[in-house]
Amino acid sequence: MTDHFAAFSFVDRITEYDPGRRARGLYAVPADIPAFPSCLVAEAVGQLAAWVAMAHIAFRGRPVAALANETRFRSDVTPGDTLELAVDIESCDDDAVTYAGRARIDGNDVIELVDCLGPMLPVDEFDSPTAMAARFELIRGEGAPPGRFHGVPLPHVVRTAGVPGVSATATLHVPESAPFFGDHFPRRPVFPATLLLDAQIRLALEVAAEATHWPSGTRPAPSRMTHVKMRSFIPPGALLDIDAEMAPPQAGSAVVKLTARMSGRVAATARLEVSAKKGQP
Amino acid sequence: MTQAQISKEEILAVFPTVSETIADALGCDVEDVKPDASLIDDLDAESIDFLDMVFRLERAFKIKIPRGKIVENARGTLTEAEFEQNGIVTETGLKQLREYLSEVPAERFRTPTKVKDIPRLFTTETFCKLVIAAQREVKAAAG
Repeated sequence: MTDHFAAFSFVDRITEYDPGRRARGLYAVPADIPAFPSCLVAEAVGQLAAWVAMAHIAFRGRPVAALANETRFRSDVTPGDTLELAVDIESCDDDAVTYAGRARIDGNDVIELVDCLGPMLPVDEFDSPTAMAARFELIRGEGAPPGRFHGVPLPHVVRTAGVPGVSATATLHVPESAPFFGDHFPRRPVFPATLLLDAQIRLALEVAAEATHWPSGTRPAPSRMTHVKMRSFIPPGALLDIDAEMAPPQAGSAVVKLTARMSGRVAATARLEVSAKKGQP
Repeated sequence: MTQAQISKEEILAVFPTVSETIADALGCDVEDVKPDASLIDDLDAESIDFLDMVFRLERAFKIKIPRGKIVENARGTLTEAEFEQNGIVTETGLKQLREYLSEVPAERFRTPTKVKDIPRLFTTETFCKLVIAAQREVKAAAG
């Protein structure tokens, strides 16, 4: 089985479509995978926006992850859930797409994306424009066969420095090969920004959990991510240094600054707001 | 209306929001975002930051700034051939550029000036002028 349109594709069917303006879609999270992190829910929303944008410019360009000014995490997704995806395109041309979107389960919000921007790059650098157009017709019509996603291996993250409860530095080894590279993207494999963000969130939550400021009977959980900015493509095999630096929690929440560096240069930045949620630390 | 006709008062009116927006986009202190600060050389902005700044300014001021057209706008009424030859700004082009970027200190214009280096000239005030020009377009469209 090919990994293309399977190993990292999260829109099964587009159910409503207003060209260049809005779309609604569905994605069935396979029941047989161990977890489906929030960052992949955001990826699904972004992919729906990308389909609308690419179709709008006749598959000359494809948007790549660059800016996400605000992502609101509402609740977790469980394998077996069906995501109800929605995107509203604010602007779209050969230079960039700007959009907002959300995912719901049974009508309840699980994630919201506000003020996102993806610069357009030539589709044929990444994928076959013909294959992309054919896939779009499939998901606009009968839909793609569900259940082709088998999870993603967590990247190897090793903490190397920091102050418990305050900051952490870690190395992240991007795998040389993984099924998702066959889908993201076939002609130019790139480590998905959402997987980097997932690793950064995990590191931030480790730091937050070490802090002693949280009310008893609560644990820190991500509530909002802002200022996401991707500066570089991350190739297979890359070695990243990731930092998480938390400001002291106030009124049950704290902001963690996240930075990823590749060969000493900043590759990505973001800020994560973590809030106290009921539950065992 | 050219950007050269933008008054100091107009720039002062938008500067606080522009500088705060740029500081937020670049993650730097707002005190560092001085009117004549070069966004690239002084504030370490990269191309993605230009997209971010424009995106945030559009929201802050409820305007539309054509992405990727900032350098093209600097050309004014000149044709591409009049403005540049083989990636180097012509003498006529440089005159137009100095007029368009009247806020940029003269010593920052290099001879020859490469087209790809034009963004190095952009300052906070350049972005104030972009905002004001876009605000005027909004007003004009509203009649």
